[in-house]
Amino acid sequence: MKSYSPLITLLLAYLIMIAIGQSIPGMWQPVMLVIFYIAIGQALNVFLGMTGYVNFGYVALLGVGAYGMGVALGYYNELGLIPTLILGFILAAILALLVSAIVGGIALRLRGAYFAIATIGVNEGIKYLIMGAKIWGGSEGIVLSGILRKSFGAETMRFLSTTFADAGVIVVAIATGVVTAYILNSRLGYALIALREDEEAAKVMGINVTKYKQIAFMISCVLAGLIGATAWTLKLTYVFPQDVFAINYTVEAIVIVMLGGAGTLLGPLVGGLIYALLKYYLAIAFPGLQLLILAPLLIVVILLFPEGVVGYIAKKARGTRLENFVR
Amino acid sequence: MLLKLEGVTKRFGGLVAVNSVDLEVEEGEKLGVVGPNGSGKTTLYNLISGVYMPDEGRIFFEGKEITNLPPYDRTKLGIARTFQIPRPFGSATVRENVAIGAMFGMANAGVDEALEMADDMLKLVGIYDLKDKEAKLLTPLEKKLMELARALAMKPKLLLLDELLAGMNPANINEILELLDRVKKEENIAVIAMVEHLMHAITKFAERVVVMHQGMKLIEGPTMEVLNDPKVIEVYLGEKLNVG
Repeated sequence: MKSYSPLITLLLAYLIMIAIGQSIPGMWQPVMLVIFYIAIGQALNVFLGMTGYVNFGYVALLGVGAYGMGVALGYYNELGLIPTLILGFILAAILALLVSAIVGGIALRLRGAYFAIATIGVNEGIKYLIMGAKIWGGSEGIVLSGILRKSFGAETMRFLSTTFADAGVIVVAIATGVVTAYILNSRLGYALIALREDEEAAKVMGINVTKYKQIAFMISCVLAGLIGATAWTLKLTYVFPQDVFAINYTVEAIVIVMLGGAGTLLGPLVGGLIYALLKYYLAIAFPGLQLLILAPLLIVVILLFPEGVVGYIAKKARGTRLENFVR
Repeated sequence: MLLKLEGVTKRFGGLVAVNSVDLEVEEGEKLGVVGPNGSGKTTLYNLISGVYMPDEGRIFFEGKEITNLPPYDRTKLGIARTFQIPRPFGSATVRENVAIGAMFGMANAGVDEALEMADDMLKLVGIYDLKDKEAKLLTPLEKKLMELARALAMKPKLLLLDELLAGMNPANINEILELLDRVKKEENIAVIAMVEHLMHAITKFAERVVVMHQGMKLIEGPTMEVLNDPKVIEVYLGEKLNVG
């Protein structure tokens, strides 16, 4: 039942989205918004979807990833363009890895809701640490547009913050999908399913639950860090602590995962599409009222599909030829 | 000596659930553990499988001390169990459930190999037709069979069965007993089966029986001898057992 064929569906969806964005004027912006939301859903899904644990500090990982890239571009740009970018990605991954190793190492010893509560403080903690201790510019953040123009020229800067940033987001988004598919097909994936369903029984079945939770948590967090580095730092050319540690992204990512189907490969794709498109077009059609309309719509979808849209379809598809392409 | 317990004690607050129990199990042995409700049987199982750590005493498996080893490490050494109330991984399929046993048990199989082993085990216990069903949708009996398949897929040296036969009809019980016999002969697994009431089944299954009473080992010995012991009859059975 499990295989890599659902990945074909996922890649096709990305291709179609990119084609629409490139060929229809005015569509690139909403397409990139959708891909961003799919990516943050996909990265969170590796942890939330597969373990059932809610990480309320999720956006902090996007934030430290954004800082990783920001620090490289802001402070080490004399290395030259390409080495700086590579350093930025490495720093983003390492910062996310460090934070997740520390947070996971401590908080993952707690069960279920207690873990969620423990992670709530992480985001605010890191934000105020950066602001209060005046690390990396403190509350003024890192403003990159001037620095980048001076070091690499206006042309390169524009390329970095548009084409390169968008391509980066798309690559990271696809990578999170591939990683998810790999996990679903691996021993790790089976261990995560087992511990999500019954942690005590999983232990007796030979699964070191703490270890596997920690692995999933760190993978999820590093992917989030890379999204922060591309979708925020590169694209926006600034890093402000107030912006990158905004808790609403955590909540949106959770909604996307639940909407699409926790623990499924295609869930964040469907959830991200529904969520981002509704948000984008409701804001145009009913400016100021979008959240008032969005919230009840989401409640309706969740009520109709308690296991998420993809969870529902996958169940219906079981035993049919579609089975291999929905998961 | 496969398993050895030395003076193992477990307390829950003031209640001594298991009180200084010594137990020895040989390789490939079939041992029955009987005792009334609350006599400490399940706690004993939890101590052997590592769900609880004992307050006193030591546990050895194949001569190696496992007293403070976490359950997942004990599994790797070759201890597998079923639960009194089955605990399937509900949203996974039956086949995946059994494959998880093969992957993380002593068999330590890769994903593809584990899925193949799962198919074999499901055929063995006779629920191969249900392999693509979500485990939570099974009937209680099917869940028990799935747990047995999952435990066997782990390729254990010691299999702990917790009330596996309870609630089954006599035909099912005979099938399972035959199955266990076959598996035991083929793979030389030691099996400890725990029952509360199914004395007839235990006489057919076990070579040796341990009777638990109020957390202590009341008596142990050859099955028929023990079950007809006046002490056992007094505290547990209430009347003389007629097997025949």
